[in-house]
Formats: sequence, structure tokens, C-alpha cells
Amino acid sequence: MAAGGYGHKRGSAVMSDPCLDPYEGRGMKPMIESGKKYGFWDFIRIPMTVCPLHTLVKMCNRAAASLMPSVQVLVTAAFVDTALAVFAGREGQQAIWGPLFGLLLLIGYNNLNWQLISFVDVKSQMRLTRVYRAEIVAKRARLEYRHIEDNDTWELIHRVCNDPVGKINGGFQNLMGAADIVLRVTSMLVLLMAQVWWAGLAIVAMSVPLFFLAIKSGKQIYEEDKESQKLSRRADYLRSVLQGRENVEERALFGYSGSVNEKWRQKYEAAQKIWIRVQGKYFVRMKGSSLITVVLSLLISMVLLFSLQRGDITPGMFMGLVTSTLGLVQMMSWQLSYMMSELAKNTEYLKDLTAFAALSETKGALDMPDRQAPVSFGVLEFRHVSFRYPKTERDILKDFNLKLEGGRHYAFVGVNGAGKTTVTKLLTGLYDSYEGEILLDGRELRTLPFAQRKALFSVVYQDFAKYQITAGDAVRLGNVQCEDETKIRQALQDIGLAEAVDALPQGMQTPLGKAAEGGQDLSGGQWQRLAIARTLYNPAAVRILDEPTAALDPVAESNIYEMFGKISVGKSTIFITHRLGAARLADEIIVIDGGRIAEQGSHEKLLSQNGIYASMFEAQRSWYQ
Amino acid sequence: MKEVKEGQRDISIFRALWKLLAVMVKAAPVLFIVDIVLSVFHGMSWGVETMMQQRFFDRAVGMAGGTVSFWRALLALVGLGLANVICQVLNGICNFMPMVVERRAGARLSAAIHEKIARLEPAVFDDTKRLEDINKAEEGKTHAFWFVENILSIFDFYLPYFLFMGWYLFSLKPILAAAILIVFIPTALAQVIRTKVFSHLEDVSAPQRRKYEYYESCIVDREYFKETRLLGGFFYFKKLYLDTLDCMQRLSYKATMKSNLFELAMRLLAVGGYCGILFLLYDALMKGEVTVGAFAAVFHSVGALYAIMEEVVCGHMGEVAKSAGAIRNFLRFLDLEESTRQGMQSAGWGDIVLENVCFSYPDAPGEAVHNVNLTLKRGETLAVVGENGSGKSTLIRLISGLYTPSSGSVRHNGIETKSLSFASLFARTSAVFQKYQRYQMTLEENITISAVQKGSGEKELNRVCAMAGTDAADPAFPEGYQTMLSREFDGVDLSGGQWQRVAIARGFFRDHDLIILDEPTAAIDPYEETQIYNRFAEISKDRSAVIVTHRLGSVKLADRIAVMKEGELVQLGTHEELIAQEGEYRRLYDAQRQWYGEEQQPAG
Repeated sequence: MAAGGYGHKRGSAVMSDPCLDPYEGRGMKPMIESGKKYGFWDFIRIPMTVCPLHTLVKMCNRAAASLMPSVQVLVTAAFVDTALAVFAGREGQQAIWGPLFGLLLLIGYNNLNWQLISFVDVKSQMRLTRVYRAEIVAKRARLEYRHIEDNDTWELIHRVCNDPVGKINGGFQNLMGAADIVLRVTSMLVLLMAQVWWAGLAIVAMSVPLFFLAIKSGKQIYEEDKESQKLSRRADYLRSVLQGRENVEERALFGYSGSVNEKWRQKYEAAQKIWIRVQGKYFVRMKGSSLITVVLSLLISMVLLFSLQRGDITPGMFMGLVTSTLGLVQMMSWQLSYMMSELAKNTEYLKDLTAFAALSETKGALDMPDRQAPVSFGVLEFRHVSFRYPKTERDILKDFNLKLEGGRHYAFVGVNGAGKTTVTKLLTGLYDSYEGEILLDGRELRTLPFAQRKALFSVVYQDFAKYQITAGDAVRLGNVQCEDETKIRQALQDIGLAEAVDALPQGMQTPLGKAAEGGQDLSGGQWQRLAIARTLYNPAAVRILDEPTAALDPVAESNIYEMFGKISVGKSTIFITHRLGAARLADEIIVIDGGRIAEQGSHEKLLSQNGIYASMFEAQRSWYQ
Repeated sequence: MKEVKEGQRDISIFRALWKLLAVMVKAAPVLFIVDIVLSVFHGMSWGVETMMQQRFFDRAVGMAGGTVSFWRALLALVGLGLANVICQVLNGICNFMPMVVERRAGARLSAAIHEKIARLEPAVFDDTKRLEDINKAEEGKTHAFWFVENILSIFDFYLPYFLFMGWYLFSLKPILAAAILIVFIPTALAQVIRTKVFSHLEDVSAPQRRKYEYYESCIVDREYFKETRLLGGFFYFKKLYLDTLDCMQRLSYKATMKSNLFELAMRLLAVGGYCGILFLLYDALMKGEVTVGAFAAVFHSVGALYAIMEEVVCGHMGEVAKSAGAIRNFLRFLDLEESTRQGMQSAGWGDIVLENVCFSYPDAPGEAVHNVNLTLKRGETLAVVGENGSGKSTLIRLISGLYTPSSGSVRHNGIETKSLSFASLFARTSAVFQKYQRYQMTLEENITISAVQKGSGEKELNRVCAMAGTDAADPAFPEGYQTMLSREFDGVDLSGGQWQRVAIARGFFRDHDLIILDEPTAAIDPYEETQIYNRFAEISKDRSAVIVTHRLGSVKLADRIAVMKEGELVQLGTHEELIAQEGEYRRLYDAQRQWYGEEQQPAG
């Protein structure tokens, strides 16, 4: 199924499929721009870019709905006054039909408009998901790798990318809600002022400070709430210790449930105390402002009552105005305070979005490997390479010098944290911020287009990916432009997985894992072989095996190393291992210690040197004597 | 027994309500009752407001006509204002109080969950069905309160409101009371259809959503990021991603359209009803049956009637229906059978004898451990070896008593493990598990959590840290033992090897006569591994110990070695005995040794 759309054969140039472009070739302006400061306007701009018509319709409808209470005042007034006139015999029966019809229209609109607009809404949601969410994914995929490993940026990415469409929608609704309140209140004021001009002014004078108070208290509550959330997170963590499956053994054996439960209770109660206090304040403020509105509307009603007595306004207009001023009360309490708390949340989100958009990207990150680049090389040389991970103090590699020749097998050995894996991260361009140079036949690696670097290396990572796609595709990903079933089969055969794959219900077309229905799970060892098969299918010049042995017992591990060595004749390979026994398969062993090359040479040569390698080998061998 | 359980899986909504209600009342009895009483008043206060509005309008119109004095009209206005104020205050209180009760009840329910879990057999966590109940208990807990509150509010808030309004409308003109029914029917019907359509949609689109989220993760998740980038797999996954998304959107579009159209029809019906009421009112007004004030007030309140009906039918009843599933999970969880191990006497330290022990996991076919007979003598060190999946881990869980055998018996010093409570069984047992925990706590807490009652002295901490090859003075621990080992809680991150050493220190901290080490050194390089094993051998010289390991070289420090294969104990003896025999042990040992031998070059 998945394979269907791809007919690109080996050798086709680097390409990015235009039909898969997130903007779909419509010349749409990108929504995620680096260096842009995101503001509330973007909550409208983004939907406007993706689906302008739908968004416009939604906005107009919302504006119309906001004006309805005022329209209702006019219509009710006309109706009541006419009805009174008819009742008193001042007008004929037929005079009522006009206002009655107006009333029916109003009822119809008020009850049906949300239902009608929901048809538009569904469409715009779908488009936003398809375009905006896809663009967020593309941005994530282009990020420099260090952002993925850095916990701070990783959390930022998570915050921004978790339900991005929902967040944009929330912001949009928030703005619409604010506009709604402004429109409603303004139109009401206009009506009121038309009747009693100074009453309107008095209200404005009283509500402006009220409004600012609401904003300020909204912010303050947000700050206090943060503190309780921090405590809640601690409590939540302790709860997971008490409930989680992964703790079950230690929990039963160490019997710490009682004491952790006590700690949990303390944190929980402390968090609750703050939370209840904050909520209490929130309610007092909310209801406080609605009580002020009640008093305000009573005052207005009183003024209107005077006007009514003097005959300045009709009874119908009087009733209409009083009803809708009272209607503001409930709105001013719930809607206003909800809007304020959303406003605070959305401001935070915009800050995050700005930071996310500004995260640096890797050039050519999405390119496919350039399979037209040469698949062999003469010498790959590290010259005075020093490297430390961003935000850390320690040099992982320190004046690292190494020459690798094409077509030979190397083994990197050393203790944990010596820098073995870091070397592969530099080679494959995951990190480029090293000092010194890495030269491929004399050319600095960083100056190569990323597509060419991708074509050079093929890696089985320590934490290799278990792609839950069809078994065939999981191998084909090793050379995604090329679909050659015989070669895929050969790769599976070479690593001893062909039988297991054939035994699956649909052979190579069987989906793996639980992502798709009817998927089949593999054992840890089989997943690993599949990852290696992917590497075998990859025509890259250098194959790197980074200690992919966590899931294996030693017998299976040694078999894998042996088999891999056999298959890779003529390729350059790098084994990274701390089980020294396997290292001797290599033509040359490189001992890395403290970020430098400590020793280098064949197994025999290193043993005779009596250095680090010899002592490590002795230590491991001694177990077997 | 399984069948009986199946039968119990369905719990009626009434039983659920009854059970949870009891918890709520106990959590905050006074608040709870006050809340109910105030809610009744709150519901009626909305009706009173409509009444007061009518009165005010009548007097205002009368005043305009010259039949009522200005002051009487003003008095009615003050009455309306008061009704409004009371209504708002009650609204605030009745929305705030349940939140407080919820938090209090939440604390009780959480504590109940924790205590329940502590009483479960560890093996329950391997049963997918019951594990699901456990995992969903938390979700059920969060729903529990609102489930009760939503049902209650129908009776203590909405019912009084509708009764009051019904009475009021009836007193104006009997036929008007029918308005409530006219409002209710289309709203309820729309809700029923919506629930149906969407639960069907959820059934068909959930697999699609899972798929498309998975494909997205293949592009952006840590697990896949670097490999997908290097392979240039972006466009491959993007295509899968968009295809699935399109498929999902088509499904949901169809369902939403269907439900929207139906709702539109219901709305039209409702609008028709609304117009009917309006006409009745107008007719009554013309006939002089109702006053113009009543007309305006009722006309206004029908709008509110609709809004409130929608709130109760779509909001509250919808929520109740939605959360019923989670509530059932929660109650089922509370009903899970508990560990029956109660014996409080201590077995004391002695031999551990396994007789014809079999064990099978609930979901897996066949037995993970089959017919094992084995004696671990007091003070003996036993190594358990074998390939992946040979039953090693299950065996040590049986030996320690974490699991009780499906058949056969495990005796500690003559007493069966299944008749000893956890507290007495594990009183002097410690362990370092393969899946050791990384507690997001301080270094000290991470170590002392294995024996919380023991009290921590600096000296003791130093001792166990040294044994595990770690040191609180290391720069990795900027605040020594008080270093918080969690980035999330403003502390530090440790590497895998460092974490493992902390876990080993934790195991050593607990005073023990028996210690279980389940591949405790996988993340530590072999050089240091040797040292840890040597130190370990020294301290467990006169204690019972069981070690599981892959690295056969390290088992020589054991007194005896048990070799597992496909769930059975195939060999048992000292290293020298086993190496002299043709068998599984020698096969494993040779395979590993060949890498280090001088003359035996590995093939290839």
C-alpha cells in the first residue's frame, strides 16, 4: 500500500516531491517563520492563509451574532409597542404581522446560525489540520538535531506541537470572544445613548477601570496557579511511583507504599490549598464584577424608568433595554473571566510559538540521499577535532586525530562515555559544531551537501528505530528511492531473517507492530536484524554498527557481528562495542579514551603493547579462564 | 473463576452512583449537604428572577399608563435587583463548592487507589485486562466526582428550576407549561443521535488516528528522528501520514455532516416550537389572559429555557454517558481480587525450596516456568543463566516470593511463600532488578527508598555507594546526597551507567539475608562490572544470593549455577561440573569464550 506511490528508481537525483509540498504549490506564504514575533493577530492570520473564505464567513457570522442582542431590543420594542397599540385598539390586527415576522426571523437566526456555521467549521478544521499541522511537522523534521536531544527545547517543541490546530483555534475563538464582548457592549451602549445620552457615558466611565482590574487580576491568578501546578507535578510523579506498572517489583519488595503515600499526600494537600485559594479568589473576582454589573444595570433601569415616566421612551423599548442590560450580567461574569484566563494562556503559547519558529534548522534536512554521489572514498580523516555537546562544559572529543581508509573494517572500543558514539554523530551530521576538520578525500565534510553525506553513511544505532510499516518497506527505507524486491529479499536472507518474514501472514507485505490493524510483532532480536537488513540494502560507502546489542544475549550478538563482517566485504565498516571479543574481527582496533585515540592497531599488536586494550581484554578474558 | 469475573464486568449506573456517592459524602459531609440545599435554591432563583421581571414590567407599563405610582415600580425594580444578586451569589457558591468537594474526594479516592494497588499481587500487572483496569483507574477517578455531581445537579438544580418554571407558566396559562416539553424533545433527540454517530465514528476512526499519529512520530519523535533523517525518509512517511489523515478526515467529515444535518432538522423543529409558544403568548396577550409584562418576561425566559435545557441534556447527561465507561473501569479496579497472603509470622532465614514449580502468565500460552525443583541453601550464591526468554526472570520472582507458583510450592525456611504477607516475606530480602527504577527524587531518597524505616546515616550511605562504585562527592552530584535526580524538578540528569550504580546502592542499602540481582550491570562497561561483582562476592559471602546474568564469565563467583532453557531447569551444578558436561551451559560458555581464547579464532 505504502509502496504504491513511489516509482523512483536508483540513481534518480535528489528530489523533493512537489505534490507533497505542504503548501501544495499554491504559493501560500509559510506560516512558521523563523525570527518572527508571533502576536494575537496570527491567530487570525494563520486560518486566513489556509482557508480565507471559511474564516471570513465565521468572522462575519460571529459579528452578526454579537449584534443580535441589540437587534433584539429593537424588534422586541417594536413588537411590544405594536401589541399594546393593537390591544388598546389604536391600531388594527394586521399591524402586528411585521414585528411578529421580525421576531420569528430573530429566533430563527439565534437558533440556527451555530448549526449552519458548523458546516463551515468542519471544513476549515480539516484544512487547518492538513496544512498547518503538516507544516509544524515539517518544521520539526528540519530542526537541528541538538534541539531534539536538549531537554529544554524538546519540551518547548512538545508544548507547541501538541494539538497545534486546537491551539490556533483556541486563540481564534479567544479573539472572537473578545470582539464579541466589545461589539455587544458597544452596540448596547449606542442604543442606550440614543435614548438617554449621559447614561451611556456614565457606564463607560465606570466600566473602563473595571475592565483593567479584570485583566490585572487574571494575570495575578495565572502566576499563583503556576505555583500550585509545580507542586501538583511533584504529587503526580509520586502517584505514578505508587501506581505504575514498572515499579511494581520494587514497590512490593521494598514496601515503600506507605511512606511514599504520605509524601504524596503532603504535596497533594499543599497544592490543593493553593489551588482552592486561587479558585476562591477567581470566583470572588468573577462574581464581584457581575455584582457590580447588576448594580450598574439597576441604575440604568432606574434612569430608564424615569424616562418611561416622562414618556421619553416607549414601554416596548423600555422592556427591551432592561432585559438586555440584565442579560449582560451573566455574560460579564463567566464569559469575561473565561476570556481573561484564556488570554493569559494564549499569550504564553505565542511566546512558545515564537521561540519554536526561531529554532535553527539543518540545511537539506529533508533531502533524500544523493545516490549519484560516489559510493567509495579513499581516506576519511579527523584532524584536531574537538567537540563538546551544546550547553555542556566537558570536551567529549579532544584534539582527536584519526585516519580511516576506504574498504577496511574498524572497531571503536573504550569505556562508557569515552566518545565512541559521538564520532558517528559528527560523521552523520547530527552535530556540526566541532573544531578542527573532518576531511573526506581532502574535502571538509561540512561543505558537502547534506544529501551527499546521507548517501555516505548507513548506521545501525544503539537505539535503532522499530518502524511499524510493512516488513518490506522497513528494509526498503535503507534506500528509499529504489524498490528492488530481489535485493530486499537478499538483505533479509543475508541476515537470517528471510524465513521469519516468509512465515508472516502476508510475507513482506505484512505490517509490523501495532500501528496498523493486523500488524505482527517481532521479537527484540528480529527487530534488530531488520534494522541491520535495512543497512545492508543501503548502498552507502560506510556501514556503522553502534553497539546494537542491548536486546541480545552474547551468543546472538557474536553471531550478528560475524555475519555482518562477512556480508560487508568490500565496504568500510565501523563496529562500536565494549565487548572486546568482537573487536578482533576488525582489521584495525581504535581505542578511544578521554576523547582521544589512546591506541590503534590490530588485535595482536595492541595485545603486545600491554596498554589499555590489553588490560581490558585481560579483564574480560579472565572470566573465561 | 474467569467467567464469574466476566459477569461482574458490567456494573449498573445506579450501583456506580450509589457507591461513589458514599465516598463523596464521607469526604466532606457538611459541604456536600450545604451544596445540595443551596443548589435547590439556586435553581429556583432563576425562576424567581423571571417572576420578578414580570412584576417589574407590569408595574412599569402600569406606571406609563398612570395606574401605578413611580415608587411602586421602583420597589419592583429593587426586588428584581435583589433576585439578581441572590442568583449571582448562589451561582458563584454553587459552582465553587463542588470544586472544593471534588478535591477532597479526589484525595480520598487517590489514597484508596494507592492502598488498593499495594494490596494487589505483583503478577496482576502482567495480566493485560486487569492492567487496563489499573491504568484506567486514575482516569475513572477524575471522572468519578463529576459523574456524581452531574447526576445530582439534574435533581438538585435543574429539576427545581424546571418545576418552578412549569408551575409559573402553568399559573399564567396552563397550556404554556407544555413549552418545557416542546423544548425538551428535540434537544434530547439530537443528543441521542449525536452520541450514536460519534461513538460509531470513534470506533472506525480511532485506528486511523492511531496510525496517523504513529507516522507523524516516525518523522519527529526522538526514537526515530536521527534515523529517519539520515535515511531521507521524510517524504516516505509524509505520504503515509497524509494518506491516513485524508482517510480519517473523509470518515469524520461524513459522520459530522450526518450529525449536523440531523441536528439542523431538530433545531428547525425547536424553532417551530418556539414560534408556537410565541403565538400562544401573543394570542393570550390579545385575549387579555396575560399581561404585557408577562409576555416580555416569558418571551425572554423561553430563550433561557432552551439554553438551560441544552446545558443539562448535552452537557450533563452527555458527560454522564461519556464518563460511565471510565467509572465502570474504576469500580472494577476497586473490585480486583487482592493478595490473600496474610501470615504475619516471620519465616526466618533458611533454605529456599522449590518443588514442582510451574508458572504461567495470564495472557501467554504455555508455561514460562515448568516443573522446577531446586533448593537454595542458606548462605548460598546461585547464578541463573540462559538465553533471552528462557524463564530466568520469572524463576527469580518465584524464588523471592514476588510471584506465587501456579502449581507446586516455594518454601522459605519451610513456610510457603503464598501464606506469608509481603511485609514478613520481604523483611530481610533485597534486590536489584533489570528494570530498576529511576526515581525523580534526591540521591539520598533514591537509595534509602529501599528501606524507608531504616533511617539514613551518612556513613551507611557512603558504604553502599562505594560498593556500587559511585560517590556522592562526584561532580555529577552537585549537592551531594541532596542532589535532585530529575531535570523536571530542577535537578540533574544521570547517564544510564550512573543510574544503574544508584540502583545497586539502593539494593545494598536494604538489610538483607537474601539478595536478588537481575542482570544488574548491563549498562556498565565490563571493566567496572568486574569490580562490582568482586565487591558483591565479598559482601554476600555469608548471605543467600541469586544472580541472573548474560555474561557467563561472571558466574564463577556463584556456588552453583542453574541453567534455564525454554522454561525448564536443564542443568544445575558448579561451574566445574557443568563445564565438564556436554550441554546448554557449555554451549553458551564456549560461544562467549571463543572471543577471548588465544587459539580458538572465531569462525570467519
